[in-house]
Amino acid sequence: MSKNLSELSGRKGIEESLFDKMGQLAQERGTPSVEELDQLADEFLIGKANTFGTATFYDFLKPENQGKRAYVCNGTACVCAGTQDKVTKQLEKHLQPSEIGHMTCLGRCHENAAFNYNGKNFSGKALENLDQIIGKETELNSDTYHVKSGANEILTNPFSEVDQYYAPFIDALTKDSKSVLEEIKISNVRGRGGAGFPMGLKLEFCRNTENATKFIICNADEGDPGAYSDRYLLEQRPHSVLFGMLIAGYVTHASYGILYIRAEYPESIQIVQDAIDALKEKGLIGRNIQGTEFSFEFKIIQAQGSYICGEETALINSIEGQRPEVRVRPPFPAQQGLFNKPTIVNNVETLAALHHIISNGGSAWKAIGTERSSGTKLVSLDSFFNKPGIYEVDMGTPLATVFNEFGGGFKSEVKAVQIGGPLGGLVPAHKIDALTLDFESFANEGFLLGHASVVCVPQDFPIIQFIEHLFDFASYESCGKCFPCRLGTKRGQEMASQAMNSDYKIDRELFHDLLTTLEEGSLCAHGGGIPLPVRNALEYFDDELKQYFNS
Amino acid sequence: MKTAYINNEPHEIKDGETMLAFIKRFKGEKHVPTLCDAPNLDPFGACRVCSVAVALEEDGKTKTMASCHSPVAEGQYIYTDTASVKKLRKNIVELVLTDHPLDCLTCEVNGNCELQDVAAQVGIRDVRYPAGANHLHYTKDMSHPYMTSDLSKCINCYRCVRACDEVQGEFVLSMSGRGFDSKIIKGSDNTFMDSDCVSCGACAQACPTSAISDVFQSKSVVESEVTRTICTYCGVGCNLDVSTSSGEILSIQAPYDAEVNQGHTCLKGRYAFKFYDHPERLDSPMIKRNGTFEKVSWEEVYTYIADKLGTFKKEFGPDSIAGISSARCTNEENYLMQKFIRAVIGTNNIDGCARVCHSPTALGMQQTFGTGAATNSIDDLKDTNCIMVIGANPTDAHPVTGAKLKQFAMKTGNVSIVIDPRRTEIARYATHHIPLRPGTNVAVLNMMMYYIITEGLADESFIGSRTEGFDEYKKEILAIDLDQIEGICGVDRNIIKEAAIAYAAAPNAMSFHGLGVTEHSQGTFTVMQIADLALLTGNIGRRGVGVNPLRGQNNVQGSADMGVQPHQGAGYMDITKPEVNLQYNKFYGVEVPSAIGYKIPEMFDAALEGKLKALWVIGEDIVQTDPNTQKVIKALNNTDLVIVQELFMTETAKQADVVLPGASFLEKSGTFTNGERRVQAVRQVVEPVVGAKVDGQIIVDIMNKMGYAQPDYDAKSMLDEINQIVPFFAGITWDRLGKNGLQWPVAKDGTDTQILHKEEFKIGKGQFIFNNWRETEELVEHAKDYPYILTTNRELEHYNCGAMTRRTGNELILKDDYLMINPEDAKEHMIKDGEFVCIESPRGKVDVKARITDEVKSGILSTTFHFPDIMINNLTGDIHDSEAKCPEYKVVAVRIRKSKGKYKTLAEA
Ligand SMILES: Cc1cc2nc3c(=O)[nH]c(=O)nc-3n(C[C@H](O)[C@H](O)[C@H](O)COP(=O)(O)O)c2cc1C
Ligand code: SF4
Ligand code: SF4
Ligand code: SF4
Ligand code: SF4
Ligand code: FES
Repeated sequence: MSKNLSELSGRKGIEESLFDKMGQLAQERGTPSVEELDQLADEFLIGKANTFGTATFYDFLKPENQGKRAYVCNGTACVCAGTQDKVTKQLEKHLQPSEIGHMTCLGRCHENAAFNYNGKNFSGKALENLDQIIGKETELNSDTYHVKSGANEILTNPFSEVDQYYAPFIDALTKDSKSVLEEIKISNVRGRGGAGFPMGLKLEFCRNTENATKFIICNADEGDPGAYSDRYLLEQRPHSVLFGMLIAGYVTHASYGILYIRAEYPESIQIVQDAIDALKEKGLIGRNIQGTEFSFEFKIIQAQGSYICGEETALINSIEGQRPEVRVRPPFPAQQGLFNKPTIVNNVETLAALHHIISNGGSAWKAIGTERSSGTKLVSLDSFFNKPGIYEVDMGTPLATVFNEFGGGFKSEVKAVQIGGPLGGLVPAHKIDALTLDFESFANEGFLLGHASVVCVPQDFPIIQFIEHLFDFASYESCGKCFPCRLGTKRGQEMASQAMNSDYKIDRELFHDLLTTLEEGSLCAHGGGIPLPVRNALEYFDDELKQYFNS
Repeated sequence: MKTAYINNEPHEIKDGETMLAFIKRFKGEKHVPTLCDAPNLDPFGACRVCSVAVALEEDGKTKTMASCHSPVAEGQYIYTDTASVKKLRKNIVELVLTDHPLDCLTCEVNGNCELQDVAAQVGIRDVRYPAGANHLHYTKDMSHPYMTSDLSKCINCYRCVRACDEVQGEFVLSMSGRGFDSKIIKGSDNTFMDSDCVSCGACAQACPTSAISDVFQSKSVVESEVTRTICTYCGVGCNLDVSTSSGEILSIQAPYDAEVNQGHTCLKGRYAFKFYDHPERLDSPMIKRNGTFEKVSWEEVYTYIADKLGTFKKEFGPDSIAGISSARCTNEENYLMQKFIRAVIGTNNIDGCARVCHSPTALGMQQTFGTGAATNSIDDLKDTNCIMVIGANPTDAHPVTGAKLKQFAMKTGNVSIVIDPRRTEIARYATHHIPLRPGTNVAVLNMMMYYIITEGLADESFIGSRTEGFDEYKKEILAIDLDQIEGICGVDRNIIKEAAIAYAAAPNAMSFHGLGVTEHSQGTFTVMQIADLALLTGNIGRRGVGVNPLRGQNNVQGSADMGVQPHQGAGYMDITKPEVNLQYNKFYGVEVPSAIGYKIPEMFDAALEGKLKALWVIGEDIVQTDPNTQKVIKALNNTDLVIVQELFMTETAKQADVVLPGASFLEKSGTFTNGERRVQAVRQVVEPVVGAKVDGQIIVDIMNKMGYAQPDYDAKSMLDEINQIVPFFAGITWDRLGKNGLQWPVAKDGTDTQILHKEEFKIGKGQFIFNNWRETEELVEHAKDYPYILTTNRELEHYNCGAMTRRTGNELILKDDYLMINPEDAKEHMIKDGEFVCIESPRGKVDVKARITDEVKSGILSTTFHFPDIMINNLTGDIHDSEAKCPEYKVVAVRIRKSKGKYKTLAEA
């Protein structure tokens, strides 16, 4: 992180975003030219190394991305489903191998066989109709998944229409913003992006930091392979997210809302933009909304392919056009975030919860779920379930209920499920009954609720390969700033790969040292989190794994 | 008292400090190992080697935290060497070594490598990982005369990137790629030579290994001694740690504990030292006989000089002799030179190069404040809200201060105002840039004051209690003609108004000015206005405010302080006053004259009139750097005895009758006074090259030869003499100077002064003195025939006449002088980038290569003057500041055309 770069990027404001400009420059050829990057550097009074360094970080900006026309999903769910070799083969019939790249999770974990072509996502049966897709305008990019709620239909509640939906916001504007914040605190809604931090406290922290400029960022980078609940909200309930951002802005005195949406969700970007336009038309955003003191503008920033950009400080650097390397904390974003101004970063789903809280009061939310994990939670189930989809359940619902009653059970035998993304725990099949869906139950059993995506590991999938895949992902997506993760994830991947492919045996002590080094030493939860599923694997699949170790 | 515990021992914590800083205070620098932390950089948290275990109660449950960026909190129990943190550190370093060449013994920094030290400290024995991917195949970058890189040794600590950003503010370095593949890049993955690197060396000094280094291998540890001294290249006065081995200089690093430069330098200070033993150094006194120089002994030359001077003195009177002392030399040497001229020769014909740069500053500030020196210190930047930079390009001319000003200007909350015809580096970042036509400073500043007064932003209470003459002044200001000013300066009045309001509204505002203020026909008046602007807004007498001239040469402040001026003796005392002279007479033991002597331009005039018989010039290339070259040469030729004391055979030395080989700053001791009145110890690093002598000793020898008893040159005893006669040096002794020097005035007890004019001015009240704008004669007379305005500027890589810097690697970075020309003007004359342009002024013409840039506006040209091949001063004229006689280098009426003849072919070569 560079304070100077934050300031210089901030001079132009969010409307003239450096990162946005780089994205636009990449559109034609898949990567901006060096001359264009030099020019941008000059325009922003920064170094040529800065724009070049940033561009080379991202999958969809780096020089190797030049000329790519299609991307095959290599997310965990698609890998476990074993559909992707075929996708590549089929695409190669129509495209040069050099025109095919990778994307990590298109949010089509429920159908798999996912790929992106010409800016659209396809999955499932689409592969069989490549003739109608390649080189054509097509509607075959749609997908279907189940959506259902348990006792409380809140996040999945059907959308009425704009005026009615935003009435509680108009109403809130007549109230003291402090009392509005109070309701959020009462609800005890905790962050859905993974860490579970109480939203009310974060908002209060930001509110109490004096500054004329503040930002609300919606973290819509949903990078966890296997997760598509944010995608669901963005595409099916975009107003719930925008509503939440408006409220967050009102209680913190922020007047800019930024949605950082991953490039792998092209449809989401369009739908959210339409929703913002609708608000503009209704005069629900802009200067002095409804004649009040409150002003608010939205801006969508399209991400460019990097998992670490989901981490909030990397995300902030990304928006600034800096290299998205993780920042040290303190200062926390709520004190010094985007362009060094106080900034709130919340997950899509966290923000979506505010409509219910503001409409019905904090205690209505608090009444749902468990003592410490209040409200409902979206769970995304992948295609190993009979009924893959998005399910809204009360916190505290037994995991078995989610899997069997909502998901309809597994299609075929599954030996483990990874819940909460690549950094989430690896739950062996026999532990499913021990868990209820809330932060505490998972933590107590040595797992992590995270964003609550569920990816199944089929019976015939070697766990050593799963470990290798995790390390490979962690290494590929490491920002590279801190030593343990930059080097350690690579060494982990190499050890697993060598053990899998040769008679090399992993030194058990060294392997544990590596995991401890990552856990204790990493700057962020990326390097710090990857040992959890690996340790789960070592604990629960020792029989299968011990042949790869030396003792 | 707030406490936290280190290994269960209670210690007091400071607000806002990190755990690492806390631990270092009590356990020493190296107690906790680190790899990515550096003394002058913000905490970054990359290596994690600084991890410690932290509990909330004694021996409680601990959490591992990186100490470098975690703030320490009251009641914390920090454990610095638990088994688990020790193991963690070792395991991290082991990972680092999986991607690092294991050839320490042949590495340039062997024995002085932080990775090596930390590996030893954490007790690494072997690397247990199987062979894997690595970056050992990266090749070296040896493209640059100074900077080198060997990224196979890089540990990705980002210290270089951060140094280039946080210290130098240049953004040359970054990473490319991500994760394991991330790699340090220069520019868009170029070589150092092809990048925008300004060779400050901050990255090389910051790098813990030899991954980024320099050709001098500054971090290597040959058996060497380190001497701390002061840079000779500009008025910033950076402290340098010079490494030597058996009397040879190996390299230079910047000490982190230097108050002036905190571990930073520019390329001149750090790398441009190889002139010192350059084969072209003068190695013997020489006397010109029949047009050729003959080497002679010191004895012979001393006798020759003493005889001649004695004869002239007797035959034509003492006023037929004059001396030009050097702002490159020490205070002690300058003191001696003026003493020689006054006490031994008996004339006040002593002047220095301050004449051609900051004489208007001294004069202007003396008239308004009573003291002709910077009111504040550079460190005050930490406490200011607004900087105003007028006629200065500090990133090139005062690079270390320039870097600090740029850091200031980059921060959005700060206000920065740049008044300069050129869009300088600082101007690019400034909040307000006023690109005025050269020669209109007075007009623009008057307009600023007009707006400050009419907007009600004048500080009435300060004006009332601490100043005089405001009512009259205000009347004059309110009567200025805004339409006329807008017309002549060529800047929209609203831009000027906004800047004026910003300056006046800032709680604390500091101004900085350079030669773009002084080298004008209205130079002194401009300085007075800058001072009055500070008075008008109450920006005087506390931290973060004031008027701060960026003094050009390293000791230009000191040479004036020491009396190298024809109208004031050592300590600025007025030699025309009998009671003052009485003091000098008593002190020097002889009678000194009371008539004001010649200023430099007057010396030339006197020479041309045949009145000047002898001129002794020390360390200044007046032929190349003074205006109107041909006239200077004529004047020298018309002087019977020209003595030039120099390091090299400069253009001036070539015109001399006697040449004396002097010593460089690395070869002598003494003091330099920097632009913030800081007197710092210059310590001899090596003996003078064979044949050369310390300049002070040469003067002493001649004094003795001419019958005045003066003890041998020695910094300590010289200071003991100076502190008796110069009031503001009263408490300065060699031993008191310590590492960071003292800022004058220094009281007898050694107390020094960071801020001047706190309670009152030396002359009681600050003076408001109005002066209206007047067009320079240069343009009145010549603008019609010579429609372009040429102004002069300096480049980072070279120092003035370039005699020193051109004999270092800097030559390879910047090889020529060049002319900046706006694209429109270039187009009109069909001049392409890199082609030669013939510039013609009423005095002469020269051909210079064009650099097409919108840094200058249409109608304005700007050029450097570091290279003798071009001799830009063939163009400059005879116009001087009306008060201080500083030449007007900044406004020359010229016309241009594309060059013909040999220059056409040169450009194509
Ligand atoms: C490696 C990594 C990736 C992350 N990815 C995401 C993400 O894709 N979406 C998200 O909302 N939060 C993600 N987070 C968590 C964010 O850093 C942050 O905690 C979150 O956006 C805060 O919002 P919340 O409090 O509403 O959960 C990630 C964290 C890490 C360490
Ligand atoms: S843990 Fe990995 S992703 Fe996180 S800061 Fe360190 S290198 Fe970057
Ligand atoms: S030498 Fe200075 S300018 Fe050049 S890369 Fe290093 S820090 Fe940056
Ligand atoms: S070049 Fe040196 S300072 Fe820069 S990252 Fe590498 S090891 Fe660190
Ligand atoms: S800034 Fe000035 S004093 Fe400092 S190193 Fe450069 S030339 Fe020398
Ligand atoms: S010194 Fe703390 S992480 Fe490197």
